Amino acid sequence: MTEQQSRDIEPCQDLQETWSEICESLRAEIGEASYQSWIKPMRLIGQNGSAVRTGVPTRFMREWIQAHYQDRLSELLDGRGLTGGLDVVIHQEHAASGRAETKPAEVRKEDAAPAGPVNGTGIGNGPHADDIGAPLDQRYTFDRFVVGKPNEFAYAAARRVAEAEVVPFNPLFLYGGVGLGKTHLMHAIAWHLRKTRPDRSVIYLSAEKFMYRFVRALREHNTVDFKEQFRSVDVLMVDDVQFISGKESTQEEFFHTFNALVDQGRQIVISADKSPNDLEGMEERLISRLNCGLVADIHATTYELRLGILQAKGEQMGVEVPLKVMEFLAHKITSNVRELEGALNRVVAHHQLVGRDITLETSQDVLHDLLKASERRVTIEEIQKRVSTHFNIRVSDMHSARRARSVARPRQVAMYLSKQLTSRSLPEIGRKFGGRDHTTVMHAVKKVEELRELDSSFNEDVELLRRMLEG
Amino acid sequence: MTGPRQIPIPFEHRPALQRDDYLVTPANAEAVAWIDRWPDWPGPLLAVWGPEGCGKSHLAQVFLARTDGRLLTMPDADVVEAGGAYVLEDLDRIPSLDEEALFHLFNALKSAEGRILVTARTAPARWSIALADLTSRLKGSPAVEITAPDDALLAALLVKHFSDRQLRVDAEVVAYMVPRMNRTFQAAADLVAAIDAEALARKRAVTVPLVRKVLEAE
Repeated sequence: MTEQQSRDIEPCQDLQETWSEICESLRAEIGEASYQSWIKPMRLIGQNGSAVRTGVPTRFMREWIQAHYQDRLSELLDGRGLTGGLDVVIHQEHAASGRAETKPAEVRKEDAAPAGPVNGTGIGNGPHADDIGAPLDQRYTFDRFVVGKPNEFAYAAARRVAEAEVVPFNPLFLYGGVGLGKTHLMHAIAWHLRKTRPDRSVIYLSAEKFMYRFVRALREHNTVDFKEQFRSVDVLMVDDVQFISGKESTQEEFFHTFNALVDQGRQIVISADKSPNDLEGMEERLISRLNCGLVADIHATTYELRLGILQAKGEQMGVEVPLKVMEFLAHKITSNVRELEGALNRVVAHHQLVGRDITLETSQDVLHDLLKASERRVTIEEIQKRVSTHFNIRVSDMHSARRARSVARPRQVAMYLSKQLTSRSLPEIGRKFGGRDHTTVMHAVKKVEELRELDSSFNEDVELLRRMLEG
Repeated sequence: MTGPRQIPIPFEHRPALQRDDYLVTPANAEAVAWIDRWPDWPGPLLAVWGPEGCGKSHLAQVFLARTDGRLLTMPDADVVEAGGAYVLEDLDRIPSLDEEALFHLFNALKSAEGRILVTARTAPARWSIALADLTSRLKGSPAVEITAPDDALLAALLVKHFSDRQLRVDAEVVAYMVPRMNRTFQAAADLVAAIDAEALARKRAVTVPLVRKVLEAE
């Protein structure tokens, strides 16, 4: 049958012909897609005793063939007088040479089925893997999607698509603000299909990548292959479709791909940051197509959902995060899930890298750039004012020569904070405190450091002032 | 003016940029720990930020050497290779930053399991980025600050700058300088440069009196 097989087969001509016949009759029974995915890549090696030996490139493929086709193949062999059964082995060489001989037009079939039904799910999956789809994030499964009121509808719709035998709605259009889990749901659909329906080819990619590939195909006068690749998948998922707004020729091609797949009863899943009607720079006819199926939106997170996400994520990371910290994060980082998870990552990493316990205070420190409206540069004057107010003395006492404890201690605290919170030199700080020498400042710093160790209420005072000043 | 004064020719000195030369102190320990942890980062991007002269570039060089990485001048998704390591410096100072290009670079890195270290003077959360998709990716990435140096770091920095310039100084000179100078990375570099120039001009060793003169002149 294929040139690949005829070239590599050592066994006698008869056996080869018989094998080809068997393959052809199975092709008629199981259909073209399954044939291309599973039977065609099998290579006849010869006879091992009375058994017919064949090779396949991966363990996964061998198991799949043994589970689904071995009995039927044995039967067919039996009918032709080869009663020793079928032997399927993993054949490394096969994988390498088979890949190299792949013709461009066959790329999808070669990639889609044996190495992994989801295209390019791993790096180094072969030269073509990354060309078509984007790889999937292992963490983005249904199990790891935390469901709450804002996203339960989108979640249910995605599950439906992943589990349905026939296309339930076309397309599934997921939309919502950034970082709320659209990509997570799409990857989860792909992972689920990969596990339960490895015979189906699933492509996930961003709209930008779709455009890039289309433009390249145009440039290389290769649009036939491009169309063939995209119009022969079982499930096509295109992320962030808003990125082709205003790109007319890409939209045109996308529109035709879309129609071709819908006509063939294949599933399409689309995501965007807005609903179809709100997408700007999109052709009317494309918008109406996007509206045809189920439009599911993901709403902004609620406090409860955010807390749930943090708890789930903390468990996954295997780190004990105090509830107080999670409540704080859920309260403060409200923009989206990506930033929320990013914040938790930072808090946990800080704990792991620097060895500090995870507390409310360390979390606030680590995330200060996210939590505070602006990075303020504190001045010595501000410090003097704030410290004076706190200890109920006059600001002028910061510069005065008075040495009474009631003013001297606050003055020392202000000097200490000036050294901690500004980059002024000690002589400069001394000048701002009534022309004192830098050694006086050094003494003040040492004194305050000592007192912070000894006196916990004094320590709290200083810490409070520091936090207020840092805003 | 006492003694002849020569115009010093600024010898080009190349700061040592190996990991061993990188001084790890509380001010930068976390940033260094992130670099050491590469490629075990939660996402493709790590931002290191801090004031001018705080050692960001040095750290970036260490990262490039360790990862056999590549320094980019502009965000460009096309350069990304599987598992590759990249650096973009002074990201908050690139004039008219192409946000979409950075967004695509981020996504390309995510797909290819690549990593990028970006440096800036301010935290990514403070950058004025119009593209919401990019903002959330930046804000969701770890960002670690290199803080103002403490006394120990300041002293170590001075020693490093002196030795970069092949100048021998006594411990007492460094001890004299630390409490009297502005406590920034840049100040340490500038001060040593000024002392070097003064020592060269006067053909004198670096001593406390010479340092005092330079400090007073500032």
